Amino acid sequence: MSAGTVDAQPVGVERVEHFATVAQQRHAATLGMWVWLLTELLLFSGLFLVALILRLLHPEAVQAAAGHLKFWIGAANTVVLLCSSLTMSAAIELSRLGWQRLMVACLLATASLGTLFLMLKGYEYYADYEEHMMPFLAGRPYALAEQPATRLFVNLYYVATALHAVHLVTGIAILLGITWKASRPGFLGRHQNWIEVYGLYWHFIDLIWIIAFPVLYVVNR
Amino acid sequence: MSGARRTLDPRDRALLRRRLRGPVLTFLALMALLAVNVTLGATRPFEQVWIVELLVVAAMAAIILLVSMEVRHEPPLVRLFAGVGFFWVAILFGMTLTDYLAR
Repeated sequence: MSAGTVDAQPVGVERVEHFATVAQQRHAATLGMWVWLLTELLLFSGLFLVALILRLLHPEAVQAAAGHLKFWIGAANTVVLLCSSLTMSAAIELSRLGWQRLMVACLLATASLGTLFLMLKGYEYYADYEEHMMPFLAGRPYALAEQPATRLFVNLYYVATALHAVHLVTGIAILLGITWKASRPGFLGRHQNWIEVYGLYWHFIDLIWIIAFPVLYVVNR
Repeated sequence: MSGARRTLDPRDRALLRRRLRGPVLTFLALMALLAVNVTLGATRPFEQVWIVELLVVAAMAAIILLVSMEVRHEPPLVRLFAGVGFFWVAILFGMTLTDYLAR
């Protein structure tokens, strides 16, 4: 599979005994990841459905609350995650070529962009705190206290974005672990499909944010 | 991870361009669609703009699933699982909204 050029390493998957063939092993790994992603999809879909119901039941309150969300930070974070998906896709292509050094660089770039997303998200939460937009803090006045229904949407915003951030933190931690292993000699000859299977998870985190950004920030403006 | 050449010769560059063409085009398409949604969100040009915004999101999700996550190249069983997930989501939304929209 390798072109035998710069930094090219042998590419393949080491078969473990409970699989009959390498193809079967690859297929099972991909299918297993998709089954996991299915459960994640249903988890986040429930939250998006709640956002839709809140919009139907309390349109004015939802619009008032969404007006306080940091639209441009959300948009910038979407760009950051799209860039991280590009570096992840590049890492997968490079792993298929056996170009280990460049692949590791792309994996590190992906983790860095994920970290940048979390930093921007943290700044957004800080700005929300400064604007008194944290209704769950008992000792702090809430900016939209005269519209009680706004609390429902704002709390949902925190649950959905924090849950996404937890997935991103976990994803970055796993990615750094895989990157460390992937930098070892012979990795691509034994575990190339790890990069592909992990890439599914990263793209999925990106997909969830791509849906969350319009559902929370854009359509309710 | 060491011992091999570390510079790209013209053949390497051509190979790299060929392999990264798909991911870069996908990225550009997603950025263009995001630009549409951000522009619509910032300007709110008409009342029912949310319909267009959700259609743009659907296009972005389809691109990520089919191209970035390579569902179109997967065996039928994986494609079935990926599709079934969205089918269940459709049931979830459909049955719930049947109640709220019919009140």
